[in-house]
Amino acid sequence: MSTDARTQQEDAYLALQSTDEFQALRKKFRGFVFPMTGFFLTWYFLYVLLSIFAPGFMGRTVGGNITIGLLFGLGQFVTTFAITFIYARWANRELDPMAERLGARLDAQKEG
Amino acid sequence: MSHPLSIVAVALVCLTTLVVGGFGLRLSRRTSDFYVAGRTVSPRLNASAIGGEYLSAASFLGVAGLIYGSGIDMLWLPVGYTLGYLVLLVMVAAPMRRSGAYTLPDFAEARLGSRAVRLVSSVLVVAIGWLYLVPQFQGAGLTLALVTGAPPWVGGFVVMVVIAAAVGAGGMRSITFVQAVQYWIKLTALAVPAFVLLLLWVRSGHPAPVVPPQWHAPLSPTGPGDHPWYRTASTVLALCLGTMGLPHVLVRYYTNPDGPGARRTTVTVIALLGVFYLLPPVYGALGRVVFPVLPGDVRGDSIVLRIPGELAPGLGGDLLTAMLAGGAFAAFLSTASGLAMSVTGVLDQELLRPQLARLTGGDSPGAGGFRLAAVLAVVLPYLLSRLIEPLGLATTVGLAFTVAASTFAPLIILGVWWRGLSVPGAMAGLVAGGLGTGLSLATTMARGDLGGWPGALLANPALWTVPLAFAAVVLVSLATPGRIPASTARVLVRLHTPERVTLARSRLRD
Repeated sequence: MSTDARTQQEDAYLALQSTDEFQALRKKFRGFVFPMTGFFLTWYFLYVLLSIFAPGFMGRTVGGNITIGLLFGLGQFVTTFAITFIYARWANRELDPMAERLGARLDAQKEG
Repeated sequence: MSHPLSIVAVALVCLTTLVVGGFGLRLSRRTSDFYVAGRTVSPRLNASAIGGEYLSAASFLGVAGLIYGSGIDMLWLPVGYTLGYLVLLVMVAAPMRRSGAYTLPDFAEARLGSRAVRLVSSVLVVAIGWLYLVPQFQGAGLTLALVTGAPPWVGGFVVMVVIAAAVGAGGMRSITFVQAVQYWIKLTALAVPAFVLLLLWVRSGHPAPVVPPQWHAPLSPTGPGDHPWYRTASTVLALCLGTMGLPHVLVRYYTNPDGPGARRTTVTVIALLGVFYLLPPVYGALGRVVFPVLPGDVRGDSIVLRIPGELAPGLGGDLLTAMLAGGAFAAFLSTASGLAMSVTGVLDQELLRPQLARLTGGDSPGAGGFRLAAVLAVVLPYLLSRLIEPLGLATTVGLAFTVAASTFAPLIILGVWWRGLSVPGAMAGLVAGGLGTGLSLATTMARGDLGGWPGALLANPALWTVPLAFAAVVLVSLATPGRIPASTARVLVRLHTPERVTLARSRLRD
């Protein structure tokens, strides 16, 4: 691709950015992803915090050799998978149709 | 210990790698375009390949050894490995794919338009790759020595030769299938013996694991002067952010056809990793049943391979040991070949090609340079693995994550999400993170554990080097607003525009 063509394409991106639809799309993405990332990182670091401030709680056995700390650890696998699954489903159901509509509108502009 | 059976298992795994790799090579020649072939990879196959590449010796042998030795605190290693993938998915995978960059140095150059940042990134890719390769070679040496009695240099040498052959032949480009197969080899080789051993354990009256009381307690110090909460928090941070900066991980996302495909792949990857990581704790606990105290000359890393011989002496135990040895070799080969491929690409592009071009007066050096790079990429870390006293597989791999988290994570996250990133800022982050982690590692390796806080801070530097690198990027960028690349706005829009919209947009321009 020549430099001219690339600049032209990137200018097209800039024009796209100023549309309301694109801003809405961006807002929607950030509105979901940033809080979710905050949540799972907090949840993950919670173990360290609990272990510092509540070692008795984490070390309590719930039967045999199984402690709450151990359950916490295994539970992390479950939540990590659940969060990934929820994210993928949200993106497929909410984000992609929105991008699809924006794309379709641009197609229609070309034909019109 | 069964010499013949284990040798057969290891040889079979090595042969499978070479044969399937060669088959894939022929297949990709018939396909006119490698990238089209890459994009027909289904999410499930791709997920298996990612799992195959990601689960290294550290996961196969190291985690079980650490759980055996230090108890449930070590669960946070596999959880961290898995979580790193989630961070990668939601924060950076899609923008990185849209950037069109295949490697981290490509991304640095596309985002910042700076040759210097590209060069430093290349050096870091090679450093991280080698740091990650060393424990794979050491693990292979350890495993082969244990199950066959071979001298310790043989195992690493076998892995080195096999991956140099596979990468040098160019086969790595098309062996998604090999790595997918290796995931299932690894899972089977770890799951079947675990199941059999658990049955034997139940039949023998399920004796309780013999453990010291602090084994169950979270964050118990491993010795005087240990700071468990600092160590854990630092490890956790390194794993969360380090995954995105590993050279062999990101490139796999390009084999997906589109965004939804990449997401389906990641969901499957996390499920595959989760299933796999349920097994090392089983081995850690079984190890505690069989060996209440670690015999003097035994490394924790080898505990997985020693359990069958103790629980099931005779042919059955030999068979199980052979399975585990084969699975471990699948782990060494798949991770090492992915890493070697990344390092080879960088060495070829940045170092050999310009030099050879100068020597030959601008002629294209062709495959010769690439093969030379492939040999260099594996021989140097192999020699290193012979020189450096093994630190423990999971520990050394953790160091590679630490370097990646302290250098590439700030560059990628701020590069994708912050308009104010300047060229000197990016450079400052790479240098600060690289020097901070590099000096810490060098000191720890040269002087051993210093004990107390200095020892803790140097052995697990992520908790201070990651904020340091982020701060360096932000502060220097704020101080040099004139050096923010002019193309920033355009590049960022391109990174954040969904493919579907981009497609329509490019048709609009026709």
